[in-house]
Amino acid sequence: MKNKLALLALSAQKINRQHVQLLIVVLSLAMLVLGVGAPTDPGGGGH
Amino acid sequence: MILLLALAGGLPVGMASSRWRGLPYQTPELRFVWLVFLAFLPQLVVLYLPNFRSGPNDSLSAACLIVSMLAFLGFAWLNRVVPGMSFLLLGLILNLTVIALNNGFMPISPHTASELISKQALQDFQAGDRFGTKDILLLSESTRFEWLADRFLPPSWFPYRFAFSLGDVFIALGAFVILAWPGLSIKKE
Repeated sequence: MKNKLALLALSAQKINRQHVQLLIVVLSLAMLVLGVGAPTDPGGGGH
Repeated sequence: MILLLALAGGLPVGMASSRWRGLPYQTPELRFVWLVFLAFLPQLVVLYLPNFRSGPNDSLSAACLIVSMLAFLGFAWLNRVVPGMSFLLLGLILNLTVIALNNGFMPISPHTASELISKQALQDFQAGDRFGTKDILLLSESTRFEWLADRFLPPSWFPYRFAFSLGDVFIALGAFVILAWPGLSIKKE
């Protein structure tokens, strides 16, 4: 259990600030392009 | 699809380019990110959540779409110095213009729509009906700024069919540049 916790802490350390920043930027860009773009596809449905 | 492809393509290109230059990948510096989440909220509720999508009438959905796009416009303007954002801003203005002038939705002609669904399925639609998530089926002659509508299709060999507008092209280009060359302005300095 102790080893697992240590491993988890080590993994968390590897996720540095830049990774989180990149994730937020990619997520916000995805929302931005989906929000302002208006392509249509057959799966979009209608009515 | 075109938009998500641009994002999916931009990030690996940016990372490969940084690696090739021996530099760490520079995450694009976007300000007021909270505004994106706030701007997306009205669209998420009225256009994407299935339970709410059938609820509000088209006028309310159209109003939400325009308010949401105006908020996105504010975000893009506040971040206009980010390399690539000017393309995205231009695409946003083009899409917003054609949407605002055509009942609050992106127009698509029956001809273009017939390339996406079968002729039989298209018979269930009438001019003025909603089509897809953000589109409205309108005859070309009754569409304002028809050249900005969803009128382009991918090449026939492309496995996935979708229609897109000129604005979408600029948005995709902008999103690609933002992720592929995030350090462009820094390099210039």
